[in-house]
Amino acid sequence: MTCEKTQERFADYLTGDLDEAGRADVQGHIRACASCRADLEDLTVVWAKLGVLPEEQPGGAVRSRFYAMLEETKAQLEAERKAALPAARRPRWTDWFTFRRPAFAASFSAFLLLFGIGAGWFLSGARGGVERYASLSREVQDMRQQVAVSLLGRPSASDRIQGIGYSAEIKTPNETTLAALFKALDADPNPNVRLAAVDALYLFRDKPGVREGLVNSLSLQTYPLVQVALIDLLVEVREARAVQALKTLIEANELTPEVKKRAEQGLKQIAA
Amino acid sequence: MNDENHEQEKTGRMSPTDNELMEDVRDGRVEKLAVLFERYQTMLYNFFLRLTGNRAASEDLVQEVFVRVLKYRAGYLSESRFNVWLFQIARNAHIDHLRKQKPALSLDEQYAEVPTREPLPEAAYEADREAELVRRALDRLPVQKREILVLFRFQNLKLREIAELMGVQVGTVKAQVHRALKELSRVYLELQGGNVS
Repeated sequence: MTCEKTQERFADYLTGDLDEAGRADVQGHIRACASCRADLEDLTVVWAKLGVLPEEQPGGAVRSRFYAMLEETKAQLEAERKAALPAARRPRWTDWFTFRRPAFAASFSAFLLLFGIGAGWFLSGARGGVERYASLSREVQDMRQQVAVSLLGRPSASDRIQGIGYSAEIKTPNETTLAALFKALDADPNPNVRLAAVDALYLFRDKPGVREGLVNSLSLQTYPLVQVALIDLLVEVREARAVQALKTLIEANELTPEVKKRAEQGLKQIAA
Repeated sequence: MNDENHEQEKTGRMSPTDNELMEDVRDGRVEKLAVLFERYQTMLYNFFLRLTGNRAASEDLVQEVFVRVLKYRAGYLSESRFNVWLFQIARNAHIDHLRKQKPALSLDEQYAEVPTREPLPEAAYEADREAELVRRALDRLPVQKREILVLFRFQNLKLREIAELMGVQVGTVKAQVHRALKELSRVYLELQGGNVS
């Protein structure tokens, strides 16, 4: 075997990918050829040296950026799917009247409920229409809160995000809903759920205890994206109580450079 | 928590192969990409780190690879080897990164350039001088030679996979690996004999 052919096999020889016959050929050649022998010895040394290079771990920001992008793509695909649905088959008006359609089943139940309430009201002949409407609206709101809280307790992250979506439609969240949202913000293992909770709580920023809870949450967050979202929110509402929390956060020196920069900017903006 | 979930996926009844997962992603179940991300993010990060010597740029490049995987997912063929396809995307992302860095230089010139590496933290440097020496030797190789060594030695790609990835004959890759290793050996000995501190 020529030197050139032998050297071509060195790569496979080093990784142990040569078969028995191939190894025998290489070994036979290097016994007779001093130059190839020296060559292979050098390569074996440097091959082993490469093995001492340690593997580095990427920073946590890589993971959170990836999952944020993935959630965004999923939402986009979902929206496209929904948009494509009516084009696939134009529903006839009679399709609405089937119990297989949850919307019809729900409306029918609502109709029965309303009919019952209406009949009760008519029979008792008492309260005014406005009052009746208000009580119904309260019921719908209560139901929404219950659904939101129950979804927030589910094991799947997308269910919990949906729960947060429900809660965002509530006009006056009760304590249980707010507590569930704060629990999601402070302790949910999925950063996307925590991010969604920041957005929902922004809507309730004027409810008692919410701003305070947001300030407290600042010290609990470790994911840069959530930290930045919280800082942005507190800056936007010019929350004075955030000043101390931001200072403590900066002093603790555990922030990534980007978050630290944002926190410092935020401090100036709140103080301004 | 995420890690636990992925661990469950990995150790579950039957771990899906890379190819099966990517087929799912292609067919619209994009959430499956999370498993592939967990399998490959460290490998890709180290691939880029060894090519660019820059941690922040390497993190950006990992993200860019997965953005492109989603973008080009429809073009994934069932008979493809996922790792080859992924590293093709990674190579292209790196080439585009080089173009952005120094648009005035031709790609060949950029490939011949030696990157400036971020200094290692003092402690790591003290702890492992030999690793540092190997790293410096690797950094002195032109990008082309470094890339082929990184793919072959660290990414566990087979010679035929590298050939497929680069669109050349297996024989060419064998010769290139041999030349790159020889040059690395020469540079390493030079550094060792010279100013090692």
